[in-house]
Amino acid sequence: MWHKISFRLLKQELKRGELTIMALAIILSVTAVLSLSLFSERLQSGLLERSSEFLAADRVLSSRRDINQDWLEEAQSRDIKTAWRVVFNSMAFANDKLQLIDVKAVSDGYPLRGELRIADTPFVEGEVAKGLPAAGEAWVASSLFQALQIDLGDSIEVGNSAFKVTKVVTYEPDVGFSVFTDSPNVIIPYSQLEQTGLIQPGSRVRYNVLMAGSQDALADYEQWLLPQLNDDTHSWRSIEDGDSPLARSLNRAERFMMLASLLGVVLAATAVAVAAQRYCQRNYDVVAIFKTLGASRQQIRRIFILHLLLLTALSVGIGMILGWLIQSFVIDWVAQQLDAELPAATVKPYLLAAATGIISAVMFTLYPLFRLVAIPPLRVLHRQLVGAQAVRWLQWILSGGTIYGLLVLYSQQWWLSTALFAGGAFAAVLLLGIGRLLINASRKAGMQAGSAWRLAMAGLQRRAAANSVQMLAFSTAIMLLLLVIVLRNDLLADWQRQLPDDAPNYFALNIAEEKVPDLQAMFERENIEATDQYPIVPGRVTYHNGERLLAEVTKEDRDDEEREEGREGFGRELSMTWRDTVPPNNEIVEGSWWGDNAEPQVSVELNAAERLDIQVGDELTFNIGGEEFTVPVTSLREADWSTLQPNFYMVFNTNTLQDFPATYITSFHLDEDRKDELYELFRPFPEASLIDLDAIIDQIREVISQVSLAILFVLVLVIVAGALVLIAQVQASMEERQKELVILRTLGAPGKLLSRSITYEFLVLGGISGLIATIAMDISLLILQTQAFNMDATWHWRLWLVGPLTGAIVVGVLGRLSCSRLIRRNTAQLIRKLA
Amino acid sequence: MLIQAQQLEKIVETSEGPLQILQPINVAINAGETVAIVGASGSGKSTLLSLLAGLDLATSGEVLIDNEKLSELDEEQRAKVRADKVGFIFQQFLLVPSLSALENVMLPAELAGHKGAEKEARELLAKVGLEDRWHHYPNQLSGGEQQRVAIARAFVGQPKILFADEPTGNLDTHTGDKVEQLLFDLNKDYGTTLIMVTHDNQLAEKCQRVLRMEAGELAEATRDVA
Repeated sequence: MWHKISFRLLKQELKRGELTIMALAIILSVTAVLSLSLFSERLQSGLLERSSEFLAADRVLSSRRDINQDWLEEAQSRDIKTAWRVVFNSMAFANDKLQLIDVKAVSDGYPLRGELRIADTPFVEGEVAKGLPAAGEAWVASSLFQALQIDLGDSIEVGNSAFKVTKVVTYEPDVGFSVFTDSPNVIIPYSQLEQTGLIQPGSRVRYNVLMAGSQDALADYEQWLLPQLNDDTHSWRSIEDGDSPLARSLNRAERFMMLASLLGVVLAATAVAVAAQRYCQRNYDVVAIFKTLGASRQQIRRIFILHLLLLTALSVGIGMILGWLIQSFVIDWVAQQLDAELPAATVKPYLLAAATGIISAVMFTLYPLFRLVAIPPLRVLHRQLVGAQAVRWLQWILSGGTIYGLLVLYSQQWWLSTALFAGGAFAAVLLLGIGRLLINASRKAGMQAGSAWRLAMAGLQRRAAANSVQMLAFSTAIMLLLLVIVLRNDLLADWQRQLPDDAPNYFALNIAEEKVPDLQAMFERENIEATDQYPIVPGRVTYHNGERLLAEVTKEDRDDEEREEGREGFGRELSMTWRDTVPPNNEIVEGSWWGDNAEPQVSVELNAAERLDIQVGDELTFNIGGEEFTVPVTSLREADWSTLQPNFYMVFNTNTLQDFPATYITSFHLDEDRKDELYELFRPFPEASLIDLDAIIDQIREVISQVSLAILFVLVLVIVAGALVLIAQVQASMEERQKELVILRTLGAPGKLLSRSITYEFLVLGGISGLIATIAMDISLLILQTQAFNMDATWHWRLWLVGPLTGAIVVGVLGRLSCSRLIRRNTAQLIRKLA
Repeated sequence: MLIQAQQLEKIVETSEGPLQILQPINVAINAGETVAIVGASGSGKSTLLSLLAGLDLATSGEVLIDNEKLSELDEEQRAKVRADKVGFIFQQFLLVPSLSALENVMLPAELAGHKGAEKEARELLAKVGLEDRWHHYPNQLSGGEQQRVAIARAFVGQPKILFADEPTGNLDTHTGDKVEQLLFDLNKDYGTTLIMVTHDNQLAEKCQRVLRMEAGELAEATRDVA
């Protein structure tokens, strides 16, 4: 019989809209989690796929020695595609000219991700290559045509072989950002690598095996492979490793999505918690009547558990459908915007969403339900009776545990969940305390005010306990909302700063010293924005504190070095520069800049220093064109590699380096529509090499725009979740207020006075919550920006005004709206409703 | 003897120390009797009702319903006694707002696991003159109509005892009279024992016995009205 009662209650209450908030809260939590995780899963694998182009693969295994063929076969047996990419420096000869080149010997399938673009003339956009150069052919970069003064169809000599140049390579996905090491690329077939005779034992060659396949297959293979790798010779990379601007942006975006989604989940769970409490409170009288009519505890428990489960199932179902619809709608839209296909999602998000809905509904209802069952039948005569006050900490433990559990479930990261949770719990306790204090203070202020204010303040104080919990919910919602909004803006601004519209899209290098003024003049005449021109002196670091570092650049060096022992060094020739001032976007983190000090010295970039364990005060020996000299390290510099500006590992003071022969480098921005002028503009500088960054910039922009969309979506969901928490909370407190309202109304208080006093009460409540939220938000932000996002910390003074104001207005308006319905009813109706 | 109270006492703890709400009370009520408990506000009449109905437990003393000692029963067993033998009518009607009139009337029978609850409920609704309003919700009914639904609900399952707490207290005189009449008529039809708390002397006089409460004491067990 009890299940019939349960069904009936559910049906009627649903019809009468009494379960709307509870159902909405569950639906929202499921919708939010489902759409977020579906969306981020699909977008992320889409993004990864897209950005894998930068590696030309999903994973790259690289080594200084040839790679075990068994490892490739193992990968192939796991349905992972593989391709070779072997890279080394060499010289190319043609027309009696000599040019240092990067040879890239690639096998069929290259590139596994992204596209290779080729053309028949240099410096154009080109078309997607179908296939690779045939035997005896080479495809070469635009700048080599300039350097060797060759035409399509000419031959170049590389090692023992001659290759006929059949195409211009206009875009390589894996070209990377390192400007100085990139001599013009020459792509030859992998099968012809051996016959060039350039690979000798001990040669400085980078063997890369590119791999692409499903995430699962790659993860499995990774587990199999990693234990066999030798850390000294092998490296295993995905796009998320590394220090490229893209990797950073991706990591940041991923962290933001995760964080924002987590906050969304917490908000949705809070909405469920608030609604669950209210759901049970509303049933106190019903339970008392049931018990009076002879219902046993067991019957009550069964009726309400079934009722709750039915409601949960229904809401979870609706949430799943909605989440799926929203996500597919958004994905469609995103795919259209980006002209991209996004891969299908797995079943995991569905399970996660259902689990979130069920867990939050059940866990948050557990304690209120416990109290519900304990309602004594005597309540029918004494309405204030609520039964045994079960231990309050039980509720805190249950709710806290649930939120923590959801965080872990969603993020699958213990430390992140624990940090967020601990921070949140600490903030909550603090907020409760501050809330009480502020309420007391405002009561004092209110006593001096007019009657509506006095009523409002008296109300605030009387419900201080309930209000500080309520304020906690308001503050949490407002704080999380502010946090997500600000973080999003900062993140976007940071990206925008990295890649402003006039970001340099070309590097010009190899400029002779005497041509520098001409180049400068040309830039000015043509109204082209360029960075400083940096002198470049190629050289090697040979000793660190007297200890030999291994390096080789030429064949002769290599032969010498084979007989020597030493520590791993940079492994290549470095481009070094001199300057009087700290380079733009660089920051001294240790030691001090030389200023006017003319003593020979060097400043080392931080990453390089960490890699080679170089400290301020160490001595480094350099070899430049055969001349060796030793200087002390006087500072370590942090360089911002995400800006497209020349950056240097080694910067000397002018006195140390200026007598060595140097070429110059600069980066500049040339508008898209002026691209065809480039050839003419640089005709007076035939020795200059140009590197086109447009393709890379475009790719980064595209990825960022995808991520921005994702973030916008997350933001909308978080706002909806926050709004629901606010509405649920206002509704709940309105019910508490009803009785008081009836009494005041019966005593003849004008509706205006009542609605004003309630509005004021909510205004103050919202204002205080907004203020607390702003403080908490700025502190959390400070921690997040510096700890999680590697961004500069910024204070958001404007929000100190916006936060409390928004809180007051939003909560005030919600309160006013909810109470106006009550006040519109006549007193008799109200009394009957209460009876 | 259907209901017996022996040395029934109720003391509650307050911030100013223990407060005696009921002095030791002895009373016996026969099956089929109609009994009014009258007294001023705060005299303890509602407390007495709640103890006799097993909604609350006495501090000391005993209540027996059908020779069953309520103090020896736990809350569940007392609920069972209520389900089997007791019906209630309250001043505030106390209908479940989300159930229709018919569903409210069916509720006790369903909780007791009776079959044919709907048929019985419809018959009772007809007897209280609300057969056409069965699908209405409490908030769609007037006060008098709500109390008639409550009366129908009280009689469903044919309880031996009916407790009524100020059944007409929330109604205007005219409606109150009609509801009173209905209550006594049904009581007669079903032969139920009626125990009613009221401060309406006219209503009390319609009962066979009137118990007067004064400051927690059952001051006199007055005349038997024939």
